[in-house]
Amino acid sequence: MLSIVTQSINKAVRLRLKPRELWLLFLVSICFNGNLSSAHAAEAISFQNQVMPILAKAGCNLGTCHGGARGKGGFKLSLRGESPELDFLALTQEFGGRRINRTLPERSLILLKATATVAHEGSQRFNKVSEEFEALSQWILEGADSDLDSAPQPVALDIKPAAALLTQPANSGQLQAWVSFDDGSTRDLTRWTVFEPTVAGTVEVDPEGNFEILKPGFHSVIARFLNLQRPVEVSLAPKKQDFRWSGPDPQNELDEWIFAKQRQLNVRPSEICSDSEFIRRASLDLLGRLPTPKETEAFLGSADSHKRSQWITSAMERPELASFWALKWSDLLRNEEKTLDRKGSQSFHRWIQKSIADNRPLNEFVQEILAASGSSYQNPAANFYRAVRDPIERAESTAQLFLGKRLKCAQCHNHPFDRWTQDDYYGWAGWFTQVDYKVLENRRKDSNDQHEFVGNQVVWMKGQGGIRDPRDGSHAKPALLGASSQQMNQSEDRQLEQLAKWVTSKENPWFAKAQANRVWYHLMGKGLVDPIDDLRPTNPPTHPEVLNFLTHKLLDSDFNLRALIQTIMESATYQLSSVPNEDNLEEFGLYARRHANRMEAEVLLDGFQQVLGTSLNFAGYPNGLRATQIPGAKAFAPRYRKDTAADQFLEFFGKPPRLLSCECERTDETTLSQAFQLMSGDALNQLIRDPKNRLQKWVEYENSNAVIQELYQRAFARAATEGELQTLEPLLSSAWDVVDKNMRRQVLEDVVWATLNSKEFLTNH
Amino acid sequence: MKRRNIRPTHSSQNQVQAAMGSGLNMPRRAALKVGGMGLLGLNLPKWLQSEEIKKKQEKAVASIAPKAKSVIFLFQWGGPSHIDMFDRKPDAPEDIRGPLSSISSALPGVPVCEGLERTARILDKVTLIRSMTHTMKNHNSAAYYALSGHNPPVDDIRLRDTLELFPAYGSVVDALSSSRPDMPTSISYPYVIRDGSVAPGQKASFLGKQHDPFLFTSDPNRPGFSLPELSLPEGLSYERLQSRREIQKLLDRQSHLLEASEVAQGMDAFYDRALAMLQSDRLRNAFRLEEESETLRDAYGRTTYGQSLLLSRRLVEAGAKFVTVYFSSSIGGQSTTSGGWDTHGFNNTKMYPIIKDYHLPITDQTLPTFLEDMDSRGLLDETLVVWMGEFGRTPRINGNASRDHWPQCYTTLLAGGGVKRGYVYGASDDKGMYPIENPVRPDDLAATMFHLLGIPHDSMVNGVGNRPLKIAEGEPILDLLA
Repeated sequence: MLSIVTQSINKAVRLRLKPRELWLLFLVSICFNGNLSSAHAAEAISFQNQVMPILAKAGCNLGTCHGGARGKGGFKLSLRGESPELDFLALTQEFGGRRINRTLPERSLILLKATATVAHEGSQRFNKVSEEFEALSQWILEGADSDLDSAPQPVALDIKPAAALLTQPANSGQLQAWVSFDDGSTRDLTRWTVFEPTVAGTVEVDPEGNFEILKPGFHSVIARFLNLQRPVEVSLAPKKQDFRWSGPDPQNELDEWIFAKQRQLNVRPSEICSDSEFIRRASLDLLGRLPTPKETEAFLGSADSHKRSQWITSAMERPELASFWALKWSDLLRNEEKTLDRKGSQSFHRWIQKSIADNRPLNEFVQEILAASGSSYQNPAANFYRAVRDPIERAESTAQLFLGKRLKCAQCHNHPFDRWTQDDYYGWAGWFTQVDYKVLENRRKDSNDQHEFVGNQVVWMKGQGGIRDPRDGSHAKPALLGASSQQMNQSEDRQLEQLAKWVTSKENPWFAKAQANRVWYHLMGKGLVDPIDDLRPTNPPTHPEVLNFLTHKLLDSDFNLRALIQTIMESATYQLSSVPNEDNLEEFGLYARRHANRMEAEVLLDGFQQVLGTSLNFAGYPNGLRATQIPGAKAFAPRYRKDTAADQFLEFFGKPPRLLSCECERTDETTLSQAFQLMSGDALNQLIRDPKNRLQKWVEYENSNAVIQELYQRAFARAATEGELQTLEPLLSSAWDVVDKNMRRQVLEDVVWATLNSKEFLTNH
Repeated sequence: MKRRNIRPTHSSQNQVQAAMGSGLNMPRRAALKVGGMGLLGLNLPKWLQSEEIKKKQEKAVASIAPKAKSVIFLFQWGGPSHIDMFDRKPDAPEDIRGPLSSISSALPGVPVCEGLERTARILDKVTLIRSMTHTMKNHNSAAYYALSGHNPPVDDIRLRDTLELFPAYGSVVDALSSSRPDMPTSISYPYVIRDGSVAPGQKASFLGKQHDPFLFTSDPNRPGFSLPELSLPEGLSYERLQSRREIQKLLDRQSHLLEASEVAQGMDAFYDRALAMLQSDRLRNAFRLEEESETLRDAYGRTTYGQSLLLSRRLVEAGAKFVTVYFSSSIGGQSTTSGGWDTHGFNNTKMYPIIKDYHLPITDQTLPTFLEDMDSRGLLDETLVVWMGEFGRTPRINGNASRDHWPQCYTTLLAGGGVKRGYVYGASDDKGMYPIENPVRPDDLAATMFHLLGIPHDSMVNGVGNRPLKIAEGEPILDLLA
C-alpha cells in the first residue's frame, strides 16, 4: 500500500496534479493495484512497435502533415514512418532535443502539440487522457530510447474478418488487426493499426476498427501497421424484397465470375444488347469507326445464331483494327513528331500497325521494343528509347506500361502503398543507363529547343549499367523489380535483352496481368484494376477471378491479343445492353450494364466525317486521312503555322500530346469548351456546311423519311423508331414542301446537327 | 460517425491482455482506462475524438475569410527591368543605375523612372515587393513559375507543357471555388504566350480540361470586338442554335442515355451552360467595350493592352474570379510597336529607346488609369491586381547598352484586394542584385494570392497518379495584408 502511495505521489509530481486530481489518482491506484503493478513489471515502451504506430495512427507522418517533403512547422517525419531511424532523431535530437522533456515528459513539445495544449496547426491529435499520451510520456520518462535494433520485427498483418459482406440494413462491424512478429508472437494490435478506405466516403472506420459502410457496393479498406499493409474488402448489398437473380446465359468463365458478384450484391444485369447496338459498339471498340450501312445491313439481315462471334473474328483481319490499336499503342509509346521527327514517327507507327496486323504475340512485340537498338530510322522499335530519353523516365515508363507498376513515388521516398523502396527504384533505373543514343544529325528548326530532333539517331548499348543513387552518391547496381540482382548474368553484355525477356516472360508476375487489364479497359471502359497501370496489393482488382482468368487466357494463348479480345467480346458481360433495369441504375461497378463513354477525340471526328461523307484536313497530313490514322500526336508545326480546325477539335476532345507514358494523358472528360466546339466551333460547322457533303445528295431525295432513315442507319446502325419519325418528320416535310433547296438544306443541317449531337451519337454505349 | 462503443471493445481487451507480460506492452494506462472507464467516466477522449472529427470536417468546408473577390493578373511577358522602373538605384554607378533619371512618387522615398510620371502619382495605392527571387533564367521556365507559383523541374528554354506540371492559377481557383453558370470563373486573353514553344502554366494541366481558363485571342482594341465563342459562325443565328438544341433535346428524350448515363448528363449540362453563356447578358455585356465612354477608353489607351485592362475590369464586375491579361504574345524586346519586355539589345536594337518609346508609355498610360478607375468604383478593395514579369533584368548593363535576364531579384507590384496601400516589402542590395531583406519566392506570392482569395494555401489537389499535391508550396506573406 505504501508503494502505491509513493507511486501516486511521484506521478502527481510529474503530472503537477492538483490535490483533487491526486485523490482520484490515488483511488484509482488502489482499485487497480494489480493492473498497475503488473504493468510496471512489464518491459519498457518500445519505440518501434509502440511509438511509431502511435505517430502513424494519429496521422502525424502523413504526407499532408509532418510526413511531407518539407515537414510542417519545422518538424519533419519520414513519410508514413518509412525511416524510423530518422524519426527517432527528429523526435529526440533535432534542435537540441527540444521536442522532448525528459524531466517533465508531459511538458514535452510533441505532447503539448499533439494535445493542442499549445497552438498546433494540425489541431488535437489525441487527448491528455489517452493511451497515446500515456505511452508517449512513459517512453520519454524511461529515457526516450530507441529499440530499433532489438525490438521484435512485425512480419505479417492479418485482418479478421478477411472480408465482410453485409446486407442492408446491417452496415457495420469490426475489423481486428493481428500482427505476427519474428519472435513468434502474434498480437491483436487493432488499436494501433491505421484503417483507411481506398475511396473516401465509402466506409468509415474508427480507431478501434469499428466500421460503418456508407453506401452499397464493393469497397476496400487498407489496414496498415508500420510497413505492413493489407486490403480488406468490405461490401454492402442493398436490401431487396424477394430478390431472385436472373440474367443471360453465361458464355464463358468470365461471365460466371461477373454474375457471381452481381448475385452477392442483389443486382440483376441488363439484357443482351440488340444487334444494332452490338455492331455499333463492337465497330467503335475494335475498329474505331461506325459500321457502314452495308455492313449494318448484312449483319442485321443475317439469321445465323453465331453471327456476333463471326463478326468479331472477321473484324480482326481488317486494316482498321490495326490502325485503331496502333493509335492506342502510339499514345503509350510516345509516338510524337517533335522528338521522333516526321519520318521516325511514321515508321514507328507503321511498325506498330504491322505488328498488330500480323497479330504478333504481345510478349514478342514488347520484347523487341525493350531490347531495341540501332538506327531509329532502320529499326523502328528503337524509337521508344528515342522518345523516352532519360534513364529514370525509361525505368518508370517501362514499369508503368508493361508491368502496371507506378514507381515514381519511390524516387524520393519508399512507395507509400507498395513494396518498392528507393533501393528498388535505383536498382531498376540502373538497367536503363546502359542505353545511350548518338545523334547522327539534327536539322532542327529551333536550335534552342532541346526536345526537337530532325535526323537519324542510333540507340546503342554502352554496356555498363548502374546509376548514381542521389541519396549517398553510391553506384546502384542494376536489379530487377522484386528480384535479386543475382538472378541476372551480370557478365553478359546484352543485358537489355535479358531484361526484355524477364519483363515479358510467362513467369513475370505482372506483365500478362497488366496487359490483360489494359485490353479489358479498352473494351469495357474501366480497368478491373483502376487506374490500369497501378497494380499493387493495396489497389486490388474489383474482380480478381476475372483478371486471373484473362491473364491465363493470355498466357495460354502465348500472348495472343486477338484471342483475348475475342474472349471478352464474346462474353455476355460485354454484350449487355446499356439500358438499365430496376436494379442496376446504380450498379456499383459490377458490370451489370454497359456504360456509355464519350467517344474518343479521333473516333468522334471520324464519326462525323463518316456520316457526313466529307472530311477535314490535319496540318501536315494528306487530305482524306482519318483522325484515327494519324501516326503522331500532331504534325510539329513551326511557330508561325496554325492548327487546323480539325487539329483544334482533337485537342479539345482529349487527344494526348504524348509526353507521358500514361494512359491518363488521353481524356474522355467532357468540358464546356467541347460544347462550344460542337455548337459554334469550326470543325463540325465546316463539315455540316460543306457543299459537297452528303446533305447535298439528301436534299434531292423525294421523301424526307428516306433521309431520316439513312441518317439513322449511318449514325446509329438502326432504323428510326416511330417516335423519332414523328419528331423529325414534321420538321423536314414542311421544308420539303418548299421548292427552295437552300431552305430545305438549312432545316436539314439543323436536324443533322441535332442527330450528331444527340447523346446516342456522342457516346459509345 | 456515430460512436457506438462506450464499453471497451474486444480488441482493446485483447490488446491489454496481449500487452501484459510480453515484450510488446501497450500503454500502461490502457489497463487503467479499460478497467476504470465506467467508474470515472473517462470516456472523454472518445467524445473529444468525435468532436474533433466534426471540427475537422467543418474546417475542411469553411475556408478563410476572403479579402479579395477576384484577381487581375497582368503578366509582363519578357521580363521588365526592376532597376529601371520600381527599384531605382540612383546612387549606383552608371552601368548599374542606367541612363534613365528618377522622379519622386506619391510614396515618399520611393522614386520611379522618368516616363512613369502618372504611375508615380498612384504609387500610394500599391505595394511593391522588391525582393522577388528565383533561379530560372529561361523565359518558359520562369513564366511557368510566375503563372503557376511552382518551381519548374528544369530551367529549360523550351520547357514542355506536360500533365506533370502545375496548372495555371486561374485553373486552381476554378477547381476550388464555386462558379456562376453563365460566367467563366477564369479568363485569359488576348494571347497564348510562347517563346519558341507555348509557355507552360497557361492551362489546367492535371486538373483536367474542364478547368482550363476560358481563353480568347481576339483583340479588344479592334473595332467590332466581341468574343469569338459568343459570335456564331456565319449563317448561324442564336435562334437557329436554340432550335437545334430543341431538336437535340427531343431526340435525347427518346433514348435512355440521359436518364442512365452520368456522362450523357454531364454533356447535356455543358450544352445548357454554353447556350446560357451565348445568351447571357452578363457575359455578352461584359464584352461590350463600346458601352464605356470614349474618354475613358482613350484614357486606358487605344491599344490591345489598354483595352484589355478595361475589359478586365468589366469581367471582374460581371463575376469573373481570375482574369489573366498577357502584355504580349512574344517576349519581344526588339520593336517599339509590339512584343514583350525582353530587351537584350540583340540585332542592333537597344533597350532604352525601345522601352522609352513603347513599354514605359503604354504602361504609364494604362496602369494608373486602370488602378484609378478600379479605385473610384470601389472595385480595387475587393480585387487584387498583380503586375509582374517572369524575372527582372541584369543590374549591370551589357555590351549592347541593354539588360539581360535576372531572376535573382526583381520587383512585383500589387494593388487592392486586401493588400496595403503605399507599402514596400523586401529590399534589394545597393546594386539591385540580390534581396537583402524578406526574400519572396513565387511560391510565397502564390500562397498569398490564394490566401487573399480565401482559398487555404495548403489545399491539396490530386496530380497524375492521384499524388496529393499542395496548391502552393510557399507561405502567405501576412505582412502585405492591410
